[in-house]
Amino acid sequence: MMAVSNLSSDVIPDSVMKANIAEIERVSLREVADVTDMAGLQGLRLKYLGRKGVVTALLREVSQQPPESRAQWGKSCNELKNRIETALEERSSVILASGASASLLKQAIDVTLPGRTLPRGGIHPIVKVSNEICTIFTSMGFSIADGPEVETDSYNFSSLNIPKDHSSRDMQDTFYVTDDVVLRTHTSPVQIRVMEGTNPPLRIISPGRVYRPDWDITHSPMFHQIEGFVVDIGVTFGDLKGVLLLFLQKIFGEDTILRFRPSFFPFTEPSAEVDIQCGICHGSGCRSCSHSGWLEILGCGMIDPAVFANVGYDYDKFSGFAFGVGVERVVMLKYGVSDIRHFFENDVRFLEQF
Amino acid sequence: MLISLKWLNEHVDIADITPDAIAQKLTMAGLEVEGIEEKHPAFSGVIVARVVDIEVHSDANRLLLCQIFTGTETVPVVCGADNIAAGSVVPLANVGATLPGREKIGASSIRGVVSHGMLCSEEELGIGSDNSGIMLLPENLPLGRELAEVLNLGDTTLNVSITPNRADCYSIIGIAREVAALFDRPLKEVSCELKQVESHIAEFASVKIDAPHLCPRYSAMMIAGVKIGQSPLWMRQRLEAVGIRAISNVVDVTNYVMMEMGQPLHAFDYELLAGGKIIVRSSQDGEKFVSLDGKERILRKEILMICDAEKPVAIAGIMGGDNSEICPETKTVLLESAYFNPVSIRKSARYLGMGTDASLRFEKGIDPNGVLTALKRAAYLIAQTAGGVIYNGCIDEYPQRVEVAQGIQLRENKMASLIGMVIPQEEVMRIFTSLGMECSRIKEGFLVNPPSYRVDITREADLIEEVVRIYGYDRVATTLPTFAAAVALPSGREKVEEVVSDVFSGYGYSQILTFSFINPKAVDLLNLPLADERRNFVVLRNPLVEDHGVMRTTLVYSALQTLRNNVYSGNTDLKLFEIGRVFFSKGIAELPREENRLCAVVCGMAFGQNCHFGKSPAGYYDVKGAVEGLFSALSLRNVSWRGEVTEPFLHPYRSAGIFVDEQKVGFIGELHPEVLARFDLNVVPTVLECSLDLLTELVQDTKKTIKALPKFPSSYRDVSFLVEEAVTFFAIEGYIAAANEQLLEKTTVFDVFRGKGVAAGKKSMAVRFVYRSSEKTLTEEEIKEAHERVLKALVQNSGAELRG
Repeated sequence: MMAVSNLSSDVIPDSVMKANIAEIERVSLREVADVTDMAGLQGLRLKYLGRKGVVTALLREVSQQPPESRAQWGKSCNELKNRIETALEERSSVILASGASASLLKQAIDVTLPGRTLPRGGIHPIVKVSNEICTIFTSMGFSIADGPEVETDSYNFSSLNIPKDHSSRDMQDTFYVTDDVVLRTHTSPVQIRVMEGTNPPLRIISPGRVYRPDWDITHSPMFHQIEGFVVDIGVTFGDLKGVLLLFLQKIFGEDTILRFRPSFFPFTEPSAEVDIQCGICHGSGCRSCSHSGWLEILGCGMIDPAVFANVGYDYDKFSGFAFGVGVERVVMLKYGVSDIRHFFENDVRFLEQF
Repeated sequence: MLISLKWLNEHVDIADITPDAIAQKLTMAGLEVEGIEEKHPAFSGVIVARVVDIEVHSDANRLLLCQIFTGTETVPVVCGADNIAAGSVVPLANVGATLPGREKIGASSIRGVVSHGMLCSEEELGIGSDNSGIMLLPENLPLGRELAEVLNLGDTTLNVSITPNRADCYSIIGIAREVAALFDRPLKEVSCELKQVESHIAEFASVKIDAPHLCPRYSAMMIAGVKIGQSPLWMRQRLEAVGIRAISNVVDVTNYVMMEMGQPLHAFDYELLAGGKIIVRSSQDGEKFVSLDGKERILRKEILMICDAEKPVAIAGIMGGDNSEICPETKTVLLESAYFNPVSIRKSARYLGMGTDASLRFEKGIDPNGVLTALKRAAYLIAQTAGGVIYNGCIDEYPQRVEVAQGIQLRENKMASLIGMVIPQEEVMRIFTSLGMECSRIKEGFLVNPPSYRVDITREADLIEEVVRIYGYDRVATTLPTFAAAVALPSGREKVEEVVSDVFSGYGYSQILTFSFINPKAVDLLNLPLADERRNFVVLRNPLVEDHGVMRTTLVYSALQTLRNNVYSGNTDLKLFEIGRVFFSKGIAELPREENRLCAVVCGMAFGQNCHFGKSPAGYYDVKGAVEGLFSALSLRNVSWRGEVTEPFLHPYRSAGIFVDEQKVGFIGELHPEVLARFDLNVVPTVLECSLDLLTELVQDTKKTIKALPKFPSSYRDVSFLVEEAVTFFAIEGYIAAANEQLLEKTTVFDVFRGKGVAAGKKSMAVRFVYRSSEKTLTEEEIKEAHERVLKALVQNSGAELRG
């Protein structure tokens, strides 16, 4: 049996004490390692560390020893106690974690079943990106303005320096309601409406639906534009470049490379078309950029003096820039959508991917 | 517009520049090159050779056996054509040569005679349409050399996209001027030495302009004794390269000069011009005219016509007539070069539906001072290619000067403040000079005279653009504007739209965007009565398809279509919403009324196919729940759902009008079974439409104030009772409210039951009453008394029968 039972209340020789401690440690640790449930573990705790436990008894023996060996054996016994304590603690967490407890097992759930999730809704990609763009500009202090979608010929064209029977009208095929009423072909009429009613300084952004009679893989009879314009004293072409660079890098990534290419719009002069470098081939030319290395992204320019004249602004005092960006185009480039018609077919399997 | 680089090279030396480099520069100067195409001859292995001897084939007298000298040896070739003789210089397709649409040429034996290759016609080489015989080459061509090389075949073309303002660039010379400016090179002169005979044109022809406002300038020359035939290969190749079909030498010259110089020309058969007269006048309403494409055109007033003494012979600037066109028998040509009013040509071309290469150039504005240059160049080329003599002199009627902008000021300050940097004076002067503009210094900056072909340059802003365009947009420093700090707050409607999007997407609705136009029949499908406002359409004049005929007056129709398309694609559990506008006509004198609305539709299972939810079909209460969530988020109170206010396309007993502060803001309900059938739907959708503009107005003054949490506990009593089916929860709430019980904090219905144990026509409702005082903890006794007062009011007013 155990060495402890041989102990007398007399002085115990050092060698016996040493062997006792070693034996208690070996046996107790083995028993702790073998126990599989919390009840057994509790039993072992009592057996060794309880008031009538083996280690407790040993400690009592030690207290009977002469003072010269008492300190040393007291220390050894306390260390034994700590080691058993630690072993019990560790075993206890193992038993808890293993979930082997029979009563808990009965409460098991299949943790891999799908969660109780409500079908996820979502914002339409066009609205999402449009909001994103508006947020970039409102954070620069732009205000949002709005205008009618059924618009007069005058706001949509004439006031923007696109006279009737002028070849610049060919740039935008138009849905007509009457001779003088059209579905707006761009968001630019909002420029006129705002400028007519307000004096500079102006920083405006205007998102909305626009209409042109084209319908194929890259054209939709209804699509979305965001118009932006700034009028103040000393607004420059360099500012236009800076604002658009900031904007496009926020939308397409900080490493986006831009190119400003001269172009023509009746309501801006100088006018520019802005291209971003093709993200797929990085400018060397591939199928998605028609081998040009560049992707057209928006049109812009300094507001034409004729437009200022139409709204009564002094071209010698003020200057301004304007730009118009097609939201579908941005979404298509950003997410690699190849057919514009998906946006308006609204198949939820398409919408859910954004 | 297609630009042949070989042709371009005749006007500016570009031999040492790659097509890519030219394309790059043009693109960055505003003339976007959309494509570069290299065109190679369709044949290879064809050389220049000379016929040495010809004899009839010994075994077939329709074949010739030719001895052909290739420059190094003489080889036998069998040939079937009869237009060659000893000494003819001809193309020889050697053994191993390829010809378009044929197998590789091999050494063959034709009826016992060996043939070392094949002599070719233009058609066989794929460089022309002539298949009448072997192509005869100039006798001075070096023998043995590759035909493609000595004929200088093959070309590279640029497809240049020209913006509407650059009328001057619709020509080879126009592009050459840009290239010259961009690469700092001189333009080459084109030869135009006229050898005119003594006979003067004035003896034979006259021009009278009756409508000088439409035709400010008309000039003409005459070439007599021409022989109509094919134009030379080089000219046909050039025209083909820029996309023009060759017709005959005289007509080809007019096209050639138009493509080269941008001045459209017309050639008349002089013999067919009655009285040798040209009269330029406006057409009459209903006048008829057969254009040279053989179609009869019915004219209206104010279309400019070219007439002879008796009849119209051309629609000015658009197309000639078949009564005076050049034909194989034409001997004498009257050549027209004119300046027509751009707006008038545009209107006429649009009206007649006839956009031609000529009308395109006239309507954009040609060079008023280039009229005679082009005329002379064409006369010279006609004499060169069709023979004939050029009559002395030319007619040049110019009754109304075409204004060319001169003396435009460019203020250096304005330019600097507009672009944000200073471009050095010398650079500005150099740019103007390179663009052919006369430029001189004045105190404020520069005084500029643009050339007459730059009709787009009339103002200071135009000059600034020219300077920056050539200077390079990429060289303009990128800056950020110095804005005064400002915070732009979203307007009411933007806020409402944001909340709508948040709430509906949060409740599992996918946002859709559908076209703003619908089929006008939609209102019939939706059962709308004749007087319904939603029949008051804004009608499109030119819809793409019938389904897009009118602007929509409701979002419901498009949403139902989207729902149906999704169901047909197998997406069965749907929750969709759209924010969009509807349009109501206010007559032709006014713009329509536009209103922003919210629409939602649901069908299928409310929670999709999820194992934790039972089968719970989405319906009225799902949509209503989302709307309640929305109203709560917008702090809209005083909402009522009125079953008696319905829509003709909704189930009469499963729909309601939605009212906020007694104002109708929308409707909600299950689709009427009849309408369901019309939409061919096998699911039962519930729809919502609500005016966001009205919500925005109602929401404006509502401010949220947060109440302190209650200090004392509440107690509740659950009661279940039977009532008549017709008693609504709204009514019950009213009856309870009538008790005016101060301690009653909240009433919620937690069960409605029909069936076992409940008599037909009745329903059982279970309601929880929550009691609380803000001053103390209520005693059992106090709660009991309050509850009794409430139940008494309920039972008395509703006839409810308490169930234990």
